[in-house]
Amino acid sequence: MTADPGETPAGTADGTMVADPTAAPKAAAADVPPELLAQSLGQYLRAWWVRVRSGNSGVLPVVLAMVIVAVIFEIITPQHAFLRPSNLVYIFGLSTVYMVLAMAETVVLLLGEIDLSVGAVALFGGVIAFKLVQQPGPAWPWWAAILTALVSCGLIGAFTGTLTARLRIPSFVVSLGMFLLFSGILIVVLGGANGTVGVSSSALDQRVIFDLVQGLISPVASWVALAVVVAAAGTALWLRAAARRRQGLVAPPAGLTAIRIVLVALVGVAVVMICTVNRGTLLVTVAGVPWVIPIVLVVLGAWTLLLQRTRFGRYVYAIGGNPEAARRAGVNLAAIRTWAFALCSATAALGGILLGSFFFGEYSTNTADPGQLVLYSVAAAVIGGVSLFGGRGKPVHGVLGGLLIGAIAYGVSLLSLGQLATPLQYIVPGVVLIVAVLVDVLSRRGTGSVTRV
Amino acid sequence: MSDIPVTADPGETPAGAAGAGTVADLTAAPQAAVADVPPELLAQSLGQYFRAWWVRVRGGDSGVLPVVLAIVVVAISFQVANPAFLSAQNLVNLFEQSTVYMVLAMAEIFALLLGEIDLSVGLVMAFGSVVVAELVQPTGLNWPWWVAIIAALLACAAVGAIQGSLVARLRMPSFIVTLGGLLILEGVAIILLGPGLVSIGNSQFRNEVVLYDIFWGRLDPVVSWILLAVLVGAAGTGLWLRDARKRRQGLETPPRSLTAMKIVLMAVAGIAVVAICNVNRAHFGTIEGVPYIIPIVLVVLAASTVLLQRTRFGRYVYAIGGNPEAARRAGVSLPAVRTWGFVLAALTAGIAGVLFASWQVSLTTNIIKTANSYVLLAVAAAVIGGTSLFGGRGKTIHGVLGGLVIGAIYNGLYLLGVSSWWIDVVVAAVLLAAAAIDVLSRRGAPRQA
Repeated sequence: MTADPGETPAGTADGTMVADPTAAPKAAAADVPPELLAQSLGQYLRAWWVRVRSGNSGVLPVVLAMVIVAVIFEIITPQHAFLRPSNLVYIFGLSTVYMVLAMAETVVLLLGEIDLSVGAVALFGGVIAFKLVQQPGPAWPWWAAILTALVSCGLIGAFTGTLTARLRIPSFVVSLGMFLLFSGILIVVLGGANGTVGVSSSALDQRVIFDLVQGLISPVASWVALAVVVAAAGTALWLRAAARRRQGLVAPPAGLTAIRIVLVALVGVAVVMICTVNRGTLLVTVAGVPWVIPIVLVVLGAWTLLLQRTRFGRYVYAIGGNPEAARRAGVNLAAIRTWAFALCSATAALGGILLGSFFFGEYSTNTADPGQLVLYSVAAAVIGGVSLFGGRGKPVHGVLGGLLIGAIAYGVSLLSLGQLATPLQYIVPGVVLIVAVLVDVLSRRGTGSVTRV
Repeated sequence: MSDIPVTADPGETPAGAAGAGTVADLTAAPQAAVADVPPELLAQSLGQYFRAWWVRVRGGDSGVLPVVLAIVVVAISFQVANPAFLSAQNLVNLFEQSTVYMVLAMAEIFALLLGEIDLSVGLVMAFGSVVVAELVQPTGLNWPWWVAIIAALLACAAVGAIQGSLVARLRMPSFIVTLGGLLILEGVAIILLGPGLVSIGNSQFRNEVVLYDIFWGRLDPVVSWILLAVLVGAAGTGLWLRDARKRRQGLETPPRSLTAMKIVLMAVAGIAVVAICNVNRAHFGTIEGVPYIIPIVLVVLAASTVLLQRTRFGRYVYAIGGNPEAARRAGVSLPAVRTWGFVLAALTAGIAGVLFASWQVSLTTNIIKTANSYVLLAVAAAVIGGTSLFGGRGKTIHGVLGGLVIGAIYNGLYLLGVSSWWIDVVVAAVLLAAAAIDVLSRRGAPRQA
């Protein structure tokens, strides 16, 4: 079942570059997750702990960090307001933008590349979609506007990807140039430094876009939807594990599958409970799950399927792990890289549309700083557990990292810091980014696959 | 050359295909070793020399040729579009605007030569400018101007040392470290600036006057000519004597006529600059003479050139940029040289900061946005000038020439009334084009990544 060390690609390469061949045998052994070999729940947990100790800790750090951040902010915010349902729902809304951008960034990071243009491209895509549903104006249907934004940003990504993949210009330089390019074009499209574009909830095609983040599912429908989703996901998970067990394939113990389903249900119940508390006033009831939560779940599901269950996904991980080995195995590096950048930018466009919706359907040049958006999305992905060096990470890491970044960003803004508020908006993500990468680098050291050069 | 391990047994060699910076394709080493001796060094006559130079240009190592051509093309296009472009007044203006880009590009080159990148140079510049302006405030610390400058430069160097250590010792990717550093510096600069503005424009205080004059002060026309004569005389004599000594000792030397030509070129360029600067460029009254910043940039250029071309440290920088693994096996301490590279980048960015403070006179939080856009300009200037993004190839003179191109583009588009975001778009396109040319020219060269 495992890994003849002679044949296996070196597990992890340093920043897309040099793979230290001497590290290959160890890395190869580590490439088969020990959980796969575990037969009972106890064995599984022990194997998992071994993996965590060796530096491949998955979502554990980000979950721990989230708990710590929640506790700290709950203590230090005035009136202990951080964990109020209204604030939590606001954080969900804010975070979805980072989540989607982080998922976009994840596929590029998995390749061992980076896309610094996601922020500018996202804003560009958002503005395009907003412009197309304007009445008077193009007055396109909402779905055509969104589709056009995704496709046009996908083409931008394909261009970035082509420069990186075919010419091998370093991706951070190409995407830095694209960042500057689209920061400028964005202002041009908006109609100058004072330009704005907005959608309101009065016109039908605008309302759909407005409601992406602002709209709510009624509490009853929320509970029904949760029940359906949990039941469907649970059944699918259970049946898949059962099928694998029947066929004699490697499968997690039945207890673990049950625990996973219960966990999914618990998280779902918690989220729906928080969202269905009335966060308006006694007179005006505001309650229900924002539409954006199922939307993000759909994006997460699509990305997870694409990366974990398709040939494209396997190739992405292969290239990220060791591009040379992937090339020799017959993977078309240029095509996969170009597609990854295209999909990254298309996903970023969705993030941009959500961003506009989050800011009450209003886009202006002050809505968001594209540079800060990029940093937040890279930081979210890396904090979530995606390696900057390629080949390690999942879309769900982007979602968790995005939630953490959103919680920190909003928590800092809740504190009454006076003059320090503005500088901290810059300092906090900077520190978070450096610490996240530091942890990434140090955890790779633990696995023994860091190159010397 | 042969002490580099050129063997490259495929079984042992690290995987080659890779992009920025850290690549060490050892199979490329033998060709690289041959190409590393510039053919000019072997040429005996001027004709041979030019033929050898042409071979090198064709091989992708074109030195300053593309950037000089770019300057000519840019100048002609803008002159056609707006006849005021090449007026003495605008040219001096253009020199002045370009100096900050030039110094920042030189800063960036220290990182680029190592195969790293420093995205924080713009913010280090802003940080340095805020520190120097704050320190001389009469209502505040009221330090003498030179102490303030030294303190600002040391503060910037410290920032570089921290970032450099993270990159060099922990091998965190430099673009991430400096991206994070950039953000933190943004916050720090906002804290230092406070809500108001910091100005060095008060002519009642000597310290502020000196700082103001760094950018806005001028040499007297007569002094300008004398200084030029002294400089060209000294540099020419130095160059001639060095070549003569090398020739006497039987070392490889360029032909005598080439040395003479270099000196003449230098003199012509100097005379042109001084002549332009000595034209009265005021609408009323008299404004003439060479701005102080031109000799200041020349000093920075000379110091960095000597450091990189004539010292052991410089050789190590090129060695690491060319092939880090080979440099390591040859006994170079990678962490130390890399850390110092980032320190020098930040220090040079600090010099740009002093110039920037003097240029802007009043500093508000608006400088943050400006500083952020300067990072890209610095990278673009260095790459346009001929410095490779992949390390090991480039000189600080490239930063000066590239900075002039960027300054000319900004100045020319501004004269044409183009709005600032379109200028950003043009600069981004120029950066991408320069990066693409860099990559393609490396393809043509025998030492391919």
